[in-house]
Amino acid sequence: MHDGSGLIAVQNLTKQFGSVTAVQNLSFTVSPGSVTGFLGPNGAGKTTTLRMLLGLVKPTGGTATINGRQFHQLGRPGRVVGAVLEAQGFHPRRTARNHLRVYAAAIGVPDEQADQVLGLVGLGGAADRAVGGFSLGMKQRLAMATALLGDPQVLVLDEPANGLDPEGIAWLRTFLQSYARMGRTVLISSHLLAEVEQTVDQVVIISRGQTMYYGPLDHLRQQQQRRVLVQPSDVNALATALREDGVQTIEQLVDGRLAVSGVDAKHVADVALRAGVSVYGIQEEQVDLERLFFQLTSGQYAGHAPAPYQQQQQGGWA
Amino acid sequence: MGNLVQAELRKTTTTSLWWGLLIPTVLVALGGGLLSGLIGRWFVDLTSTADAEQLSEMLGVTPDQWKFSLFGIARSINLATVFPLIFGALAVSGEVGRRTITTTFLTAPSRMHTMLAKMLVYALWGAIYGLAIMGFVALGVVLTSTSAQLPDAGGWAMLTLVCVLSSILMTMFGIGLGALVPNVAGVTVLLIMYFVVVENSLLLGLRIAGTPETVVGFLPNGSVNGLTGSVVVDLFLAKAGVVPEEAITFLRMFAGAGGAQSWWLSGLIFLGWVAVVFGGGWALTARKDIT
Repeated sequence: MHDGSGLIAVQNLTKQFGSVTAVQNLSFTVSPGSVTGFLGPNGAGKTTTLRMLLGLVKPTGGTATINGRQFHQLGRPGRVVGAVLEAQGFHPRRTARNHLRVYAAAIGVPDEQADQVLGLVGLGGAADRAVGGFSLGMKQRLAMATALLGDPQVLVLDEPANGLDPEGIAWLRTFLQSYARMGRTVLISSHLLAEVEQTVDQVVIISRGQTMYYGPLDHLRQQQQRRVLVQPSDVNALATALREDGVQTIEQLVDGRLAVSGVDAKHVADVALRAGVSVYGIQEEQVDLERLFFQLTSGQYAGHAPAPYQQQQQGGWA
Repeated sequence: MGNLVQAELRKTTTTSLWWGLLIPTVLVALGGGLLSGLIGRWFVDLTSTADAEQLSEMLGVTPDQWKFSLFGIARSINLATVFPLIFGALAVSGEVGRRTITTTFLTAPSRMHTMLAKMLVYALWGAIYGLAIMGFVALGVVLTSTSAQLPDAGGWAMLTLVCVLSSILMTMFGIGLGALVPNVAGVTVLLIMYFVVVENSLLLGLRIAGTPETVVGFLPNGSVNGLTGSVVVDLFLAKAGVVPEEAITFLRMFAGAGGAQSWWLSGLIFLGWVAVVFGGGWALTARKDIT
């Protein structure tokens, strides 16, 4: 039925809800053996993309495949892909064990699997309680247990950390990493890079339904060069001295400071001392992934600063 | 497919809805049965008065052999099958409302497989409801009427057949409409309004206006009532001896089968409605985005 590669491939995926374009010409692949973060601000089209991948939403254009097949061609999808999605519900009066037994039957795995996954997510003690009394975190764990029922090769998780306590997040992190190390595919979405930074190996960053960055997280870190911001007594003298020292990337900032790339703060201070330039302030800019993420995704739904009150133009009532 | 059928069966047995709806079902059935028997007995008493007997002899009819409780049986069945109708309506709308439909579709080879599995499981539930309805209507009527008022073994068998059939078809109709209107409260109100109020008002309107009621026999409620009502009229006429031609229209009315066709034709007409509604719900479910 499918090639068993564990590869997720999204190609030129587009979804239009009426006049709203939720996802636009999105392409990326997710390989087995790694945890891939699927990042973007709320409303960027993450959930819609994942739902198209899982056959719940029909794409307007393009394809999304798992193991080289579209979801409805997988045959026994529960054995291939497990998913935790937002707005995935439970019957409030069905117990956790019964919930899992329903879907164990649908997937075609033995009932013992239900108890096994309950233990795995730490809900063994709550097996016979009705889900209606569960906390958000417990429901999230039960959703995770449901996703794991068929021992799938591919895991797709939409904002799985929502509602989880720090202990739960730590567990999830370790679990997903070891799952990927077994040669399986893990795709996990989040609107916060910091939330998944320690979990993921590579990232797909989207904004306004389009791919902004796609690749290993380390490459993203390297993209942002370290800069030294320095406030000298004489800008020109320091710039000249630095150039003579072989530093090429020097930029004057609007606040009068110099931004120097490629060297550290100590080096800049030493050059300034030799050139007889006083340094009033010096700092190294930190690699801030979150800021980079924000730069990549900014704009969408960004609020405007309040505009100053403008007087009515003359003749407005004429 | 067997896997999904088992999953759907477990969905229905692991919540309380099946017995929560079965309780009012059997209460209505039992109450209807008791009342049917009482009305039948009251009619026999009425016809046994001296004046009535004289009139009967003059007309050449034998009302003391008229099994009037039969009409009540048909009406009780028709009323009680509203519950399996609602049970079916919650099959899809309940899952959409609680958002379990996402997991359901994620674990099924296709949405068509899910709908087919639901159809099979709910057909079984329709049959269970049908048997319960028949059992409790029968219990009620046996408790309150004389044996002369009761149908023979063949009659009971025929009644059981149409009762189960009507209950299964109503459940299927419910699934289809629940898929078309996937809102638990919305679809429940819509079905009750239509089956209890709308069509009966239409029938009443036609009757007052003096226009033929045949059209009602082709509508959903009219046809499903015709399934049970026409059987009851047939059973009644088979044992009633001489019945004036003009009286038959009234008999059909008593049986709740005004304007209805014969029982098998009524069944086919309602089957057609079920096919339309179920097919529509099926098509919508296959296409729609689950967001």
